[in-house]
Amino acid sequence: MSFEYCAPATLAEASALAAQTDGTASFIAGGTDLVIQMRRQQRRPSRVIDLRGIPDLDSIVTIRDKVSLGALTTHRAVERCPAFSGALRGLIESAQVIGGHQVRNVATVGGNLCNASPAADLLPVLLTLEADAHLADGSGTRAVSLIDFLRGPGLTARRPDEVLTGVFFAVPPARSATAFIKIGRRRAMEISVASAAAFVTLGEDGRCIDVRLAAGAVAPTAMRLHAAEVLLRGERLTRDVLTAAGRTAAATISPLSDVRASAAYRRRLIEIAIPRAIEHSIARIEG
Amino acid sequence: MHTYPVELLVNGERHDIAVPADRSLLSVLRDDLGLTGTKTNCLEAECGVCTVLIDGLAVNACATLAVQCRGSAITTIEGLARGDALHPLQEAFVALGAVQCGYCIPGMIMTAKAFLDDNPEPDEPGIREALAGTICRCTGYQKIVDAVAAAARKMNREGCRR
Repeated sequence: MSFEYCAPATLAEASALAAQTDGTASFIAGGTDLVIQMRRQQRRPSRVIDLRGIPDLDSIVTIRDKVSLGALTTHRAVERCPAFSGALRGLIESAQVIGGHQVRNVATVGGNLCNASPAADLLPVLLTLEADAHLADGSGTRAVSLIDFLRGPGLTARRPDEVLTGVFFAVPPARSATAFIKIGRRRAMEISVASAAAFVTLGEDGRCIDVRLAAGAVAPTAMRLHAAEVLLRGERLTRDVLTAAGRTAAATISPLSDVRASAAYRRRLIEIAIPRAIEHSIARIEG
Repeated sequence: MHTYPVELLVNGERHDIAVPADRSLLSVLRDDLGLTGTKTNCLEAECGVCTVLIDGLAVNACATLAVQCRGSAITTIEGLARGDALHPLQEAFVALGAVQCGYCIPGMIMTAKAFLDDNPEPDEPGIREALAGTICRCTGYQKIVDAVAAAARKMNREGCRR
């Protein structure tokens, strides 16, 4: 499994080191996916480029109406971020159910995104936040919407010499909240069987002004549930309305049957979990 | 094969080694430094028996490249006792019968140490959640949880900062 190892001090250097290898380099941060994949021979980079020495990639910053979540932020740091304890609590709920302490202490936001597992747990809430991914190479930075960034299982829009520097999303408006539910066969150290995320904005009269829904582990990538959202916008979110949205969500996903669960069971889980995630968001707004 | 010079700080001692990039911290600790208290098992960050502390945080050494550990302070199970004086966690695991085959115990204790250093007054759900990344096939966990709770109480009583 041998490879070269580099630890550049700048983004430009990191990108150049990748460009030199004609697409055969991998970036590493916490390494909790990459090192295991290398051991299994699933990935065989010629060069591993350590990003952790590059400054300013691990901050969570709010500037005016935009939140920037640095790619080197660990799951541990997301869990403990005070700025996420209100409307953005869905991000904490996502980070805290990944792996165990040993993984979360070093695994990064950027790693979860770039590994792009269909079951990646940070993605559903970020999709409901309509986040953009920022990709940098030696010459500049470009923004790609997260939905366009995710191309397939393990596939993203990142070019081999680009570094994901962070994700950006708008600060939620007043009377909004996010929520995330992970479902697995056990309560820790599990790859999601299905996951559900909701972002809800309520008017003063309790009607739903805006809603964004997403699901994980039930399609080739994490996905938005636009058909279900359409049923909810402008409506009072009664039990019947939420039930209908759950059914629509279940009909629009494309789950597989695999070792963890059948496709039919995954549809049933999403049917239940989407309304539940919406209810958690509502309780967070009104609580 | 190209090797990289790595200065490792392990249990307060400096070791200068030269390793290929693909060597895990786990294999360097066990095979190069002879610190076999940290165990080998799944090699895929699932079981936690390889847990060590890097700058105070619990990490799976099997999924950590040794070359990434330059400049970090690593603590293994061998680093807890002071001569013959066991760490309160070690004492509690022994006293409360939390050790059966023993294979998961270094990982359990290192995970628990990092957790208690951050959460000196844990409740039982918190202890169980902290240990979720370390598997025991023998004990059913209850005595391990009790031992962590007992160690926490002792450490608080004695103002222990180890």
